[in-house]
Amino acid sequence: MRLNLGAKFTLTVLIILAGTMAANTLYFLDTSARFHEQQLVERGRALGRLISLVSPDAILGFDFLLLNDYTREVSSQQDVVYGVIVSPQGVPISSYINHSDPLIKKRLESVNSNDIPKLLLRLDSQDDLIQLEFPITQNDALLGRFLVGISRQSLQSEFRRQLMIQILVMIAIVLFLGTAIHAAFRFNVLFPIQKLIAASRDVGRGQYTLVEVKSADEMGLLTRAFNAMTEEVRQEQAKLHRQANFDTLTGLPNRMMALDRINLEISRARRFDQRFAVLFIDLDNFKNVNDSLGHAVGDELLVATGNRVQASLRDTDTVARLGGDEFLVLAPDVTNEMQVEEIAERLLRAISEPQELSERKVVAHCSIGIALYPDNGENVETLMANADNAMYQAKATGHGSAIFFTEEMNTRLRERMQMEQDLNLAVELGQLALHFQPIFDTAGQRHRGAEVLLRWHHPERGAVSPAVFIPLAEATGQIVGIGEWVLEQACRSWSAWHNGGINPGFLAINISRIQFRKRFSKRLSELMSIYGIPPQALELEITESVLLDDHHQVAEELNSLRAIGLTLSLDDFGTGYSSLSYLKRFRFDVLKIDRSFIAGLPDNPDDVSLVKAILAMAKGLDLRVVAEGVETQDQLNFVTIQGCELAQGYLLARPMNEEAYRSYLQDLQAAGELPRLSAVRT
Amino acid sequence: MVSLLWLIAAATWAPVIQAAEDPLIMGVFPRRNAAETARLFTPMAVYLGERIGREVKLVTSKNFDSFWKAVTEQQFDIVHYNQYHYIRSAKTYKVIAHTQEFGKNAVAGVLFVRKDSGITEVSQLRGRTVIFGGGKDAMLSYIAPRFLLMQAGLKEGDFKTEIAVNPQNALVALYYRQADAAGGGEVVLDQPVIKNAVNVQELRLLAATEPLLFLPWAVKRSMPAKLAESIQSLLLDLKNSDAGRQILKSAIMTGLGNAVDRDYDPHRKLATAVFGPEGTAR
Repeated sequence: MRLNLGAKFTLTVLIILAGTMAANTLYFLDTSARFHEQQLVERGRALGRLISLVSPDAILGFDFLLLNDYTREVSSQQDVVYGVIVSPQGVPISSYINHSDPLIKKRLESVNSNDIPKLLLRLDSQDDLIQLEFPITQNDALLGRFLVGISRQSLQSEFRRQLMIQILVMIAIVLFLGTAIHAAFRFNVLFPIQKLIAASRDVGRGQYTLVEVKSADEMGLLTRAFNAMTEEVRQEQAKLHRQANFDTLTGLPNRMMALDRINLEISRARRFDQRFAVLFIDLDNFKNVNDSLGHAVGDELLVATGNRVQASLRDTDTVARLGGDEFLVLAPDVTNEMQVEEIAERLLRAISEPQELSERKVVAHCSIGIALYPDNGENVETLMANADNAMYQAKATGHGSAIFFTEEMNTRLRERMQMEQDLNLAVELGQLALHFQPIFDTAGQRHRGAEVLLRWHHPERGAVSPAVFIPLAEATGQIVGIGEWVLEQACRSWSAWHNGGINPGFLAINISRIQFRKRFSKRLSELMSIYGIPPQALELEITESVLLDDHHQVAEELNSLRAIGLTLSLDDFGTGYSSLSYLKRFRFDVLKIDRSFIAGLPDNPDDVSLVKAILAMAKGLDLRVVAEGVETQDQLNFVTIQGCELAQGYLLARPMNEEAYRSYLQDLQAAGELPRLSAVRT
Repeated sequence: MVSLLWLIAAATWAPVIQAAEDPLIMGVFPRRNAAETARLFTPMAVYLGERIGREVKLVTSKNFDSFWKAVTEQQFDIVHYNQYHYIRSAKTYKVIAHTQEFGKNAVAGVLFVRKDSGITEVSQLRGRTVIFGGGKDAMLSYIAPRFLLMQAGLKEGDFKTEIAVNPQNALVALYYRQADAAGGGEVVLDQPVIKNAVNVQELRLLAATEPLLFLPWAVKRSMPAKLAESIQSLLLDLKNSDAGRQILKSAIMTGLGNAVDRDYDPHRKLATAVFGPEGTAR
């Protein structure tokens, strides 16, 4: 049985009270019993003295009837069991026996009532009998003795009666005091505690109820302390709630709050048969801002974007920051897609307006994916996923666009995911293969090496374009493993050819931006060591996007590669930033002119001017240039005349698989068109 | 005004009161204490006074000596005493009636012993203690038992004599083994006071005299004969009416019988045997 505090306290008080009162009662009763016993003894002595005083004349005068009268008169009092006058020889000469006394009644069952000596003998050892004896003398002569027996039974009866009364009084007092103490305890302690308990439960439920302070005692202090604690908890809870539901940087609702709001909106829209829109906003190239202008500016941009988004919306709309450079807008109660488009356009415009951050002028763009309830999903997960999907589609289509989610997107997404899974197995299943496209010098059209190309032969899809699966591999990070596989395969092939007595020239291998971040130079050194590849046998082709990453890290990695002795080639020059500062900051050996510029030669004046400018710049920087995608003689002639040293393209040779390329090399070797093994590259 | 009326009334009746006769004095011997005696015999005194048309005043005595002194001085007109008192005062008082107790006119003097004493003959009392009640004037409690002792050959000195205040106490003393024998009238054993005090079954009668007439009622021989006869008649007539029987019951008597002087000759014989010829002439 579980006792509450009030019951425990009251029980303890009652036990102490009962114990104290019981001890007091027992003491009182014991004292009372002693007093009454003393009174009985005194009564007996008084009787004895009286008999001693009046009896001598009667004894001497043989007035036994008078003596009997004396004895009866004196003895026939309450509690006196017997009064007997005996002669000096012990013979009874007068007696009074209270035959109604229980002690006598009991003895008379076995003793003749006239046999006084025997009766007295039987009574001699009775604990509940006070037996007194008084001499009766006359002039110092012993005339007899007065024996008196006084029963303690009435005393004991009185003791029991008193005990019963005392117990009843004690019970009454204990009950009264117990009730009073319990009531006082309940009013002064339990009620306040119960209020505190109720308030504590309220706090547990998130309701911060303050308890009224009614006294200045310890309970009042406790209540004050509790209220202070409640206030602290409330503030802390509010802080936690803010931290849990709001973005600390922008002050906007965070993902959790956004999900709550969407859920609420779903309930509301379902009840009122309404539609609403979820807009996923992702800043384009935000990383570039962070990297180039620093994180502080990046944060400023996020705050500013949040403010602009908020300023562009209705009061009923909700904007949240999901994390990173992702924002979400919840636009409730939309009637048609046009209305949402207007919102999206307002957002695109607002975000793309130039702004000055840390004294720098910045123009940001964003991509927006839109999902509608209930058209594109009836729960928060589906709506979020579809808006996200649409946002990626928007990002894929170019900067600054907003796209509504379509089922086709999901199809593409599923395909992409399937391809991602297939790509995971491609290496293991031997579906990937290296192809080699020879590179020639333009002057003598002699073979100098080859660019390593990666091909994926999907068992169902057939040949999958690198333009499809390489971006996927980069997006998923699979490119790291694939890139290492390419490196090792290229090294193994080169080594095999070389060991076969063939001089394959150099192999130009494309290195992904993702690979570059992983500091692949160490692994490349190991592979070169394993396969005995000389540094001049490898040329690493990187795109300008690599250079957009952390300058310091890129510079370190490039230096490491250069220290190995590798040739560094800047691929697809002219299609990206084509920043001259990069060429100045990072030293390259080779520039590769993108095939899009070669395609317009020699008739397209823009391409002609551009190619001439690139070649002039390369000559100035002492860089060798490779013209990619040379497919006609005119193109070859043009670049040759303009001083381009190297060229590759269908005009010269198509990409070949390893076996074909080996045969190709063997043929060249047999024709004496390959340099000797000791000189791979000149 | 009221006081004046009282004075006139007192002056008118004073000669009448002075002319009334003196009250008759009725003495009763101190067989019991004075208060008890007054309680028992006052109804009879009132009865006699009303019937004879003359106040009868009951006088009690605190002890036998003062009572006997009043007898010898003839202070009593009517007297009730024991048989020995009468035979000693017969010259000045004339017996007119005797009491009847327990429906008897006479009672024997006896010696009692305890049943467990082993005493079956009076002669066994030699050297033992005999207790008598009421003093040596007591006819039934002393003189008669002494006579029995003498008949058994035991003279005074052959046994130890103890005197209890009355016959009842002598019997109680015997019961409580304060004596080996007790003298008294045979009716003592039947008295309620004894039955209440002791277990009479433990006592038995050892020897008895011939029945002796009960206590006498006497008047002064100098009393007019007509008055004496009137008083005798009234006393003897008591048992014939409810009121009279109530008076007798009050005095612990069952009746009053006629008595003449010669009825007490047996008593004179016993007293003479015990005390000698002087004993009766005192």
